[in-house]
Amino acid sequence: MHRTIRGIIDALITYWLFASLIFFAIRLVPGDPVLLILGDGARLEDIEAMRRQLHFDEPLSEQYVRFLRGLVTFNFGDSLRVAGVTAFHRVGASLGSTIRLSGMAVAIGSIGGILCALAMVGSRLSRWARAVERVLIAVTSVPLLAFGPVASYVLAAQFRLVPLPGDPDAPFGGLLFASVLLAIPLGAHAARIAYASLREVSDAPFLRVVRAKGGGSWRVWAVHALPASIGPILAVTGAQLGALLAGAIVLERLFEREGLGTLILGAYAARDIPVLQAAVIVGGGLFIGVQSLVVAIHPMIDPRARA
Amino acid sequence: MVSGGNASDERSGSRVKALVVRVAYAIPLFANFALACAAVLFYSESPSRFDPARAWEGPSSSHWLGTSEAGVDLLAILSHGELSATILAVCVSLGAFAIGVPLGAAAAYRGGAYERFVSRGCDVIQAIPSFLFAVTVLAAVRVRAPWLLGVVFLVTAWAPFARLALAQTRVLRNIAFVDAARSLGATRARILAKHIAPHLLPIAAVQLGSSAAAIVVSESALAFLGFGPRSGVSMGAALDQGVAAMLRAPHVLIFSAVAVAVTSMTLLFGARAFAPEKDDGR
Repeated sequence: MHRTIRGIIDALITYWLFASLIFFAIRLVPGDPVLLILGDGARLEDIEAMRRQLHFDEPLSEQYVRFLRGLVTFNFGDSLRVAGVTAFHRVGASLGSTIRLSGMAVAIGSIGGILCALAMVGSRLSRWARAVERVLIAVTSVPLLAFGPVASYVLAAQFRLVPLPGDPDAPFGGLLFASVLLAIPLGAHAARIAYASLREVSDAPFLRVVRAKGGGSWRVWAVHALPASIGPILAVTGAQLGALLAGAIVLERLFEREGLGTLILGAYAARDIPVLQAAVIVGGGLFIGVQSLVVAIHPMIDPRARA
Repeated sequence: MVSGGNASDERSGSRVKALVVRVAYAIPLFANFALACAAVLFYSESPSRFDPARAWEGPSSSHWLGTSEAGVDLLAILSHGELSATILAVCVSLGAFAIGVPLGAAAAYRGGAYERFVSRGCDVIQAIPSFLFAVTVLAAVRVRAPWLLGVVFLVTAWAPFARLALAQTRVLRNIAFVDAARSLGATRARILAKHIAPHLLPIAAVQLGSSAAAIVVSESALAFLGFGPRSGVSMGAALDQGVAAMLRAPHVLIFSAVAVAVTSMTLLFGARAFAPEKDDGR
């Protein structure tokens, strides 16, 4: 219980810190955001009105209090470009697509990675485990930013195996292809770590007992060894979430998919600061929340971590 | 599994082999960097020269890697972009190293509340999505100065270094030679600098490589999304053009993707030249 409470407090501190960074980034970096929104040729009274609408005319401390209140009540005011729609409403509308993409990528990547590691320790593949490990190292070190566009060029434009980026007729095929691309580095990381931590427990007495009682390879590795080595796998999945979030934004742009990434880019292009701020904070909050969840799940799977 | 034979011969043999492996890790990094420098210094084309009549041309003797949008020479864009991304990445990583390693080592050596505070601070900072933070800052400024991007990356980049130094010093602080130095009356600063730091540096060097590689990729990804330098001289900006002209001029996409991959991977593997000797336990 103590651990859960500490985890929640840590997550809240991180969320507050991240949100404050965003708040001060928008207000304190050189350049006036209101001039960015309205352009240099704006009239003085328009500038004043916009300043009042965004509450930029108040002292910074008052703005910060208002911001913190908005953080708790999910209210950062209305979108500047779509009249009458709140910033959070627009974020909510585009969030589902990004969650589908990254959720599918996490599922494919972690299940694929764990299966690969299980095959490396417990099947005929184990003879080539070293070679497979080298391939995994190579895969994890190629950035998604480089192989994503090349893979979509080769598979979509050259061989026409998958739908072209932004093809409206094949929404599910596009989603599947994008999430597989996103899952590849995650899966390779998970496989490497899972393999290493499975090998670590391979000589443990509790596995010898299972073997002595006649347990088959699957029973030994998947049922008994895997839960004992889940900690590092969860940790690496959590650590990869940041890359996943950035990757999802890049892939949304690459495949011209609707989502949080396109909303952020659109809000930037339209200088819609409330939407930009809300989208970044919700995206970051989601990321922080999931990461804390990953940490919290560990003791539920591995009893030894409960101590 | 020593199979007889002269043990010392075997040891020196494996030491030579280890050295060869180290050098082999570093060669691509220096080769790639030297190539980029050579292209910037000696290649006749400039990344700011437009020639719309020759847009999207394939590689030729006058444009070695072809041209991109508006007929700008691709090799010129990529080499200038690579050089600036590498310089940014190395500066930020060294800065993160200079902040994180002393902080983590001092925290672990002092122990107690100070250690717990830094350790949880690392947890909190590492959970911050730095990419979104960078997007916000770059969206809010009018002039995207490279130092600004460096500061943004630095906000989160020091945490992994501090955590590494923390974990490593936690082990080292109780080892006999540190105890010996302490009983000889060495000051805390001297023990950290003379006895603990030499054992931290090789491990931190590996992190230096992965941090630099991640920054190169982030910089390119930001430019790919349209948050790059206004001049458009960036590997990510070239990659963006390549994606848009995928069917018409695939060479732009391929060469830019290769440039991003090679730059980040050589940094990642190059740092392994300084990695501590592997202890296989066999």
